Amino acid sequence: MLSLLFALPLSLPPETSEVPTEPLSDLQSALGAAMAQLQRLPDPPYYLAYAVTETDQLTLQGTNGSFAGNERSRGRVVDIDLRVGSMKLDNTHKIRDAAWFSEPERPGVRAPIADDPALLRNLLLRYTDDVYRSALRQLIKVRSNDVVKVEREDLSDDFSVATPVQDVVALPPLSVDEDAWKATLRQVSAIYLQYPAVQDSAVEITVQQERRWLVSNEGARIADGRNHLRLATWGTAIAADGMEVQVYDYVDGPSLEKMPDPKAIEAMVHGVAQRVTALLSAPLVEPYDGPAILRGRAAGVFFHEIFGHRIEGHRQKDEDEGQTFTSRVGQAILPTFLSVYDDPTLQNVGTVDLNGTYRYDDEGVPAQRVPLVEHGVLRNFLMGRAPVANFPTSNGHARRQPGFAPVPRQGNLLIQAETSVPYSKLREMLIVEIRKQKKPFGLIFDDISGGFTFTGRSTPNAFSVQPVTVWKVFADGRPDQLVRGVDLIGTPLTTFSRILAAGDDPEVFNGMCGAESGWVPVSAIAPSLLIQQVEVQRQDKMSDRPPLLPPPGVR
Amino acid sequence: MLLSTALAMPPLEQALSEELDRAMSGLKLPDAPKPYLIAYDLLDGDVVTSQSSFGRLVSLEDEDFRTLRAEVRVGSYQVDSSNFSAFGEPDGIVSRRLPVEDNVLALRREVWLATDAAYKAAVQQLSRKLAARQGEEESKRSTDYTPAPPVVGELASLPALPAVDSAALTNLTDVLSRELRAFPELEVGDVLARIWQGRRLLLSSEGSRLWRNTGFVVVRVEGVVRLADGTRHRNLRSWVVRTMADLPPLAEMQAEVRGLGSWLSGMKDAPLEEDYLGPVLFEQGAAVELFSQLLPSEIVGTPPTEEEPDDSSVISRRAPTARLGRRLLPVGWTVVDDPTTSLPVMGAYDRDQEGVAPRVVELIHDGVLRDLLMSRIPSRDRSESTGHGRSLSNDRRGAMPGVLTVSPPHSLSEVALRRRALRLAAQVGRPYVLVVRAMEPPAMIEDFDVAITGDSPLPGLTFPTEVYRLYRDGKMEPVRSMEFVGVDRRVLRDIDRAGPVVGPVDMLDGPPGPERFQIGAVGGLGVTWTVPSVLITELELVGRRGGEPRLLKLPGLD
Repeated sequence: MLSLLFALPLSLPPETSEVPTEPLSDLQSALGAAMAQLQRLPDPPYYLAYAVTETDQLTLQGTNGSFAGNERSRGRVVDIDLRVGSMKLDNTHKIRDAAWFSEPERPGVRAPIADDPALLRNLLLRYTDDVYRSALRQLIKVRSNDVVKVEREDLSDDFSVATPVQDVVALPPLSVDEDAWKATLRQVSAIYLQYPAVQDSAVEITVQQERRWLVSNEGARIADGRNHLRLATWGTAIAADGMEVQVYDYVDGPSLEKMPDPKAIEAMVHGVAQRVTALLSAPLVEPYDGPAILRGRAAGVFFHEIFGHRIEGHRQKDEDEGQTFTSRVGQAILPTFLSVYDDPTLQNVGTVDLNGTYRYDDEGVPAQRVPLVEHGVLRNFLMGRAPVANFPTSNGHARRQPGFAPVPRQGNLLIQAETSVPYSKLREMLIVEIRKQKKPFGLIFDDISGGFTFTGRSTPNAFSVQPVTVWKVFADGRPDQLVRGVDLIGTPLTTFSRILAAGDDPEVFNGMCGAESGWVPVSAIAPSLLIQQVEVQRQDKMSDRPPLLPPPGVR
Repeated sequence: MLLSTALAMPPLEQALSEELDRAMSGLKLPDAPKPYLIAYDLLDGDVVTSQSSFGRLVSLEDEDFRTLRAEVRVGSYQVDSSNFSAFGEPDGIVSRRLPVEDNVLALRREVWLATDAAYKAAVQQLSRKLAARQGEEESKRSTDYTPAPPVVGELASLPALPAVDSAALTNLTDVLSRELRAFPELEVGDVLARIWQGRRLLLSSEGSRLWRNTGFVVVRVEGVVRLADGTRHRNLRSWVVRTMADLPPLAEMQAEVRGLGSWLSGMKDAPLEEDYLGPVLFEQGAAVELFSQLLPSEIVGTPPTEEEPDDSSVISRRAPTARLGRRLLPVGWTVVDDPTTSLPVMGAYDRDQEGVAPRVVELIHDGVLRDLLMSRIPSRDRSESTGHGRSLSNDRRGAMPGVLTVSPPHSLSEVALRRRALRLAAQVGRPYVLVVRAMEPPAMIEDFDVAITGDSPLPGLTFPTEVYRLYRDGKMEPVRSMEFVGVDRRVLRDIDRAGPVVGPVDMLDGPPGPERFQIGAVGGLGVTWTVPSVLITELELVGRRGGEPRLLKLPGLD
């Protein structure tokens, strides 16, 4: 199951600097020492890459007018990617019909925080030994599996050639005035006390700096990194029917200058509190099918889940996958007015910085803008260095959370409409569609808190996304009505075939995406979309009563 | 003129007190009982955890820690919502992080939510419990909770807490782990340490309002060597003290760590003891682990939680193992728990977590269990708390040991004990006897199997980390990794002789049961053991294999 998450596990040292290059030399030296020994063995690896990722994180939180606490963490994670066999068939090849526990375990390796070449070399060789022996065992199983089973549907190789890159990318320093932020968090979090309906709430800032060093026996040598900050606030309450209402708002950015100022944070807090209050008294929606508009962010999440995961390269050759689009290259899968790209090289849209931006993927390949769908016709997949039939090379999308093996993932997914209408016109078109379908109302999905999709063959290829703000729109001119309690569900091909029109109002969704290779930062940029028919089902809910006593301090 | 600030209640206490009053007077679900008892247990302090490997920092966590444990009971002391477990269902105990600043309103809001959730869960738990009892004959069950007089201790009366110095802790883990760099054979050379210093406030609707200081410092050292045939051998060292100032001098700790490294390095020439059946001598830390792993579940009287009826379940039902009148040790042995001791040991305290003053309990007399450690949860055998109510986080407050002393009727000198051991070995045709000097503490296990016996799952023994062959000429030869086979409490009855006293030894442990294996390497509650070295007539140990030889030659660290 693949899912999106807005909230990072929220928490930097006061001082940071540009990415130093010493660890690169240390890694290079260790890699040379390991390869020198491995090449004397009967089945030496043909590929070996080391990566060290250092993460510094600080989270400061305020709640109800008080500084609530902070969390600091700093650590370095080592990744060893080793391949034995050949590019044609190697140890990473998927074993068909295997039990879930037959996957080789990837060692979780933590490196010392301070540079220590001798210790790092010792550590790397020790774990390379473990990984190498595990890879040899796996290759035996892979070869046997290839003989025992019927011929593979996709006979493409397991790995492809890529030009090794050598680059050192500067990373701007980050420093946080903790006392100033504590004061701000006290001040803005107190606003929630003005809203008795809000039961639990917080405002927090997370400042994270990630620095990465990557080398390979092919000659890759990259030092880069990423600064990421998030100012977030949420409020929750339990409705009279037991449903928990939660509203989350946030701003992501690469620097403190991109974070909202106190006035803007105040506005965010008021906004969240007002939405929680309004949602508490909003009526529930019954299961429904009919026309709907997905506003920009909601449409972005929708495309990320329903489309984006299905065009990740490894899913096209994995025979356990549903392979919705594998054989559809060159065919229309979306309306002709829509084109889709994934462009990790794009840094911002307007004033909004994008989460899914990076220069090199986790296999050291430069990120590329990939035209996935042009005028409705599928053209490409997101590729790492594992080829797929007719797609022999990487386009720089192999990504991972440190500690995981990289697979193709989305970066910045852009949904572009060649013909679009102003939002007001799109809304009029919705009303026309409501009337045409003789429905009592249509729906507008303003915001989505996350979602998931199943892409495998053993489960229905369905998706479910969790809207936060949903409006009923009536054809008879009554005002829109805020409602709650539904999830947007469906299947991809049917839903895509029902996209009728797009707005001229692209919006950015920034978030974290979880899949096989862990959590990675992503963005999706989409215009509002009018869909002829969506289906909603009742949302899972608890049955707890709201708190029995009024909040303290309220009579 | 208003009240002087000197008389003002500390903000934390004020917040808890105001919410306690409000909850006791106002919390009420329709057609459901009100709370008859609410107890807040607040931990407020600093925790720093540092890990270094071969002299370099690997991780450092530093946080302000303020957590509330809110326990709400509905029903009555006779029958209430506690002591019942239904899989996956919440009970009347809820934990919640509180803001680290003394903002009364912000604190109260968190207490409000925690109390509300605990009350609702307690009401449901009581109904589940009564439903489970439906149709039972006249209950022979004990009451659910024992009343206790309120106890008061002021914050102002507490001594100042020592400062939590994260730099000092990081330096300690760096310096100690650096000692292991001198041993190139080692694959793991880690030191993990934690300082936890804080205050604890017990506030209850019974009138208790008790502030106490709490905390510990724990240092764990782990070394692993891989022998030529691939076998891993692990050894450990630990220090558990109240404050950093209580740690031994640094040079002494460094020497101990160097000794560990040296010992592990020497393992490359150690023989493999394939299969051993015969007398075993437990010395030093191994003697402490032997008793501390096998005895607690036999001396703690807290009954297991009730469960929903399930006729299909055979082994999952929890049965009490502590049974008065049961022989646990040979004739003449005694076991006493005395948390009131004036010794500066980790297991000593003046009030348990329920606010009850502990008393000295002679548990085993002449080898037979005569008394039990009790919390305020009574059993059919004992209704009064002995002041041993302690548990971790959200667990109910069962009893656990404090400061235990195991005394034999007679003790031999080390030389005499070894001579006796060799004589027993000779009787079964062995030219040597195995001596176990160290074992993994439950907090540091990598892998473990429990013994399933006739009356319930019983704890076995963790892996020994230092085992020697003792030959008749007095030569001590270390052997490779081993494990015990089929051990349970009954082996304690097979103690043949006792030797010199080991201890008092401080450790961090958890309540008896599976939870004690889940406390983590730097968690738990202080317990102190004083035990003799012992010779057991017969035990079975087998050599542990596993692991593969290294293909790559690992470079040195310097």
